[in-house]
Amino acid sequence: MILQTRTMKPFTEQNYYEVLEVSPDELPLGIRLAYKKSFELYQENSIASYSFFSEEERQEILSRIEQAYLTLINPETRKEYDQSLIASGLLEEERTFRDRTKKPIAIYNFQKTLLDSPAAARRSGELKLRIEQNPVIRDLLARDILGGSDLQKLRTVLDVTLEAIAEKTNIRIDILRAIETENLDLFPPLVYLKGFLRSYIRYLGLDERVVLDAYLKKLGLH
Amino acid sequence: MESSVSQIWPIGGGKGGTGKSFITGSLGFMLAKQGYKTLLIDVDLGAANLHTIAGVPNPSKCISDFINKEVATLGETVVPTPVPNLFLISGAMNNLDIANLAHEQKMKVLRGVAKLSYDYILLDLGAGTSFNTIDFFMISDEGIFVTTPEPTSIENIYRLIRSVYFRKVRQVLKTYAFKALADEAERRNPRATVSNPALLLQIVGELDPEKSVLLRQVLESFRFKLVLNQFRKQDNYNIGTLICKIIEKHLALRIRHIGNISFDDRVHNAVCKKRPFLELYPYTQTALDLMECCRMLLPGKEACPSFQKVVE
Ligand SMILES: Nc1ncnc2c1ncn2[C@@H]1O[C@H](COP(=O)(O)OP(=O)(O)OP(=O)(O)O)[C@@H](O)[C@H]1O
Ligand SMILES: [Mg+2]
Repeated sequence: MILQTRTMKPFTEQNYYEVLEVSPDELPLGIRLAYKKSFELYQENSIASYSFFSEEERQEILSRIEQAYLTLINPETRKEYDQSLIASGLLEEERTFRDRTKKPIAIYNFQKTLLDSPAAARRSGELKLRIEQNPVIRDLLARDILGGSDLQKLRTVLDVTLEAIAEKTNIRIDILRAIETENLDLFPPLVYLKGFLRSYIRYLGLDERVVLDAYLKKLGLH
Repeated sequence: MESSVSQIWPIGGGKGGTGKSFITGSLGFMLAKQGYKTLLIDVDLGAANLHTIAGVPNPSKCISDFINKEVATLGETVVPTPVPNLFLISGAMNNLDIANLAHEQKMKVLRGVAKLSYDYILLDLGAGTSFNTIDFFMISDEGIFVTTPEPTSIENIYRLIRSVYFRKVRQVLKTYAFKALADEAERRNPRATVSNPALLLQIVGELDPEKSVLLRQVLESFRFKLVLNQFRKQDNYNIGTLICKIIEKHLALRIRHIGNISFDDRVHNAVCKKRPFLELYPYTQTALDLMECCRMLLPGKEACPSFQKVVE
């Protein structure tokens, strides 16, 4: 998995992009989000990192994250930093943020890898990452009740088309549409509906239990 | 050590009562149901209770028969369970205190395990980070760590993983080199000492670059898995992924979160009835979670975690 080979490096040897776990062509917004996420993971009250670090280590890591963020969020210092990585052979010029507009990079083009998948592993890894990183998704997933339009929002943010879902799950596209518009007239019997919903949710890589419950609640079927 | 033909999954977790035995029993049940010849071994010798979970309240033989040389091979201590394809080596009925095995006895058990021939062998390890637990963990690269989403339990998981990590470093560097390394690390950074893995790797790299390459390879060969058990709705769903991220980033070990197992009061009922939870309550969320975990553990699933069979 791409993500793993990248992270199999001790923290102290990671460059700022690796520290924040963003690609070198990440947009400023993505960098801000990644910073927030890293900060939460390492801050004092984080359960996930509880007891792993001494107080000094934690402070060191937090300050490195901070440093990474401040360097990458400012276009001037980011450019300088990129130049230094390029000079030491750690980064290719075309992979930097500035060149992105000229030459879109295929591996981060999610839609392309989604349909035909020689790289299924990367695909789901990236989906997961997207789900974790995106605040819209996080907000939606925190809700108890999700309507069809919320599902549609999740799908859109994840950059997945109904056609792609229909193709992979063999669910008719009008039924998928009915799910997103809550068009009860077109709904199949409940057992099938649940199955379809599960496939739909799983295809998006979301937590089946949470999303299914929340949608059924909206329909008053729970 | 001889390499075994069986897939061996050691299952551990620093803290007592997190559900190691429940998960070992449940995974064994599912593997057996799928037609895999599966053996459960209870190596929690101080507080064995896997036999109860596996539905064998009074096992006729147990692992200490082998340790005490009453039988010649470990294979002779295997007993069947009520589930076809599922077998057990019980840790019960110890009349002597073997919670802490002598080194020779431990090696004997480890060699014995390697000689057994099953599709899957699941080792239920004791709580804590005793030498026993860690030695059994080292028998395979496929260790499964069980924790609950509570800080106390997570703390123990980290302690256990670190112990395994340092044991491996020691093994690779041999004792004398490890000592030199520890001294050097201490000299450079008195407050961090060797408990800081990044510093340790860095120093190995400087003192002995060849060893350092080897060490990294060895550390990367681990394929650890993490299960969050007794998961409640209000818990942070990402916590397992985050824990794995910390371990990968800071210990350079591979570990994969394979699922959250929901808390369900009926687990208690199943244990009391000495029947498999999955048989009594197959349609619960907890059962679905367990099945998903099992799917994630089987070969071929590694590549594609959240895209299992899309259509039911
Ligand atoms: N998912 C769950 N939901 C509810 N209860 C659970 C769950 N998993 C385990 N338990 C309960 O937790 C208790 C401890 O489980 P188990 O004996 O499997 O833990 P253990 O880690 O093997 O403990 P020990 O360290 O003592 O060997 C059991 O009583 C069981 O009923
Ligand atoms: Mg136990």
